[in-house]
Amino acid sequence: MEAISHAGTVLGVLAKDGVVLAAEKKVTGKLLDLSGAKEGGYGGSGEKIFLLNSNVISGVAGITADANSLVNYARTAAQRHLFSYDEDIPVEQLAQRLCDLKQGYTQYGGLRPFGVSLLYAGYDVHYQFQLYHSDPSGNYSGWKATCIGANNGTAQSLLKQEYKDDISVEDAIGLAVRVMGKTMDSTTLGSEKLEFAVLTLDKSTKQPHARIYKPAEVDALLAEHGLGKKEEDAEMKAA
Amino acid sequence: MSIMEYNGGSVVAMVGKNCVAIASDLRLGNQALNVATFDKIFPVTDRIYIGLSGLATDVSTLRERFRFRVNMYTIKEEREIEPATFAHLVSSTLYEKRFGPFFIEPVIAGISSPSRGSKPFIAAADLIGCLNFAKDFVVAGTASSELFGIAEGLWEPDLEPEDLFETISQTLLNAVDRDAFSGWGAVVHVITPDRVITRTLKGRMD
Repeated sequence: MEAISHAGTVLGVLAKDGVVLAAEKKVTGKLLDLSGAKEGGYGGSGEKIFLLNSNVISGVAGITADANSLVNYARTAAQRHLFSYDEDIPVEQLAQRLCDLKQGYTQYGGLRPFGVSLLYAGYDVHYQFQLYHSDPSGNYSGWKATCIGANNGTAQSLLKQEYKDDISVEDAIGLAVRVMGKTMDSTTLGSEKLEFAVLTLDKSTKQPHARIYKPAEVDALLAEHGLGKKEEDAEMKAA
Repeated sequence: MSIMEYNGGSVVAMVGKNCVAIASDLRLGNQALNVATFDKIFPVTDRIYIGLSGLATDVSTLRERFRFRVNMYTIKEEREIEPATFAHLVSSTLYEKRFGPFFIEPVIAGISSPSRGSKPFIAAADLIGCLNFAKDFVVAGTASSELFGIAEGLWEPDLEPEDLFETISQTLLNAVDRDAFSGWGAVVHVITPDRVITRTLKGRMD
């Protein structure tokens, strides 16, 4: 639990036509090799936001190694469901599978629990768009907007004030970006510190479509909401 | 009678110039009785198709198994699987059941990704995963002997997609006409680097 409260913030916002996840990366720096992330298939640096299945994305906060193990378990669980039932796993069921695993580690064996909290953002035909949160004890609950990791109290109260039912996914993106801006430690937002993902329904195929933003797309999104990093040259010129 | 002949069906794949084609009949039978139209060729990715001949229940199960494993591959590696890699995945999946096998003879046809040269690729395997990387054509199913003979006669290298379609269609239709356990219509997929053209053929429904 300590590790999670020190980990990078992840927040999720549910909209009527989509779900949004935003995450602050803690592992950054000039020497970090992000070339894979720039061209890679799914976007994201593989630190905070992961694709679990074609209909579910998740954001993790806590011990990264534990998170990777849980993400792998979730991906396999989703495929097992697809194999048996020929349908995408319902989001709540995926959350339950992971929570059953996590709970086992609190009751049996003498092993330590997984030090990870996860947010699951997904779509299924039964309950449409959903957002769930699970913690190391194996508890999970459904949310309209929530936050895990560092500064989650601040972010949670900001979300409580500004969230309205039936917001559109564009407004949800704006809300997520603004709340991240207020809660993140760094003074300016940029693609090295922010991971962003949106899950919507593809208009033509009516299938869930997850999009984890590539670094360039994150920068464009921030610029669109007026929160992009100012050019250093521009600041010098102004001075 | 052999378990591989219980449901019937045949598949063939051929290499052309910057294209591949894969074709199969549509018969699902219960020994001599025709039961249903059953497509045996499935897309694995946009540019890889697999055709599975043999016992129909294993065709369905293996299709779902391969979907599982290819999805895991795609999500973890964050890229699409290559045809040659997929062929090895098929081989290892089948060998896992070495002493209680799936009664399947798979045929794989695809084009590698642009970053690897968009090369045409075909392969076939036996029911326990022995791969055959032919350069010209591969055959499988109850009409495999007939398919071998006609393909050997009709195939030539560097056929354009339209000519490859004609060649593979004639190969398949005439071969299944000679086999009691294959037929009931046919389907052909021609795979090129930009797109896949699928055509259903009219054949003898006996």
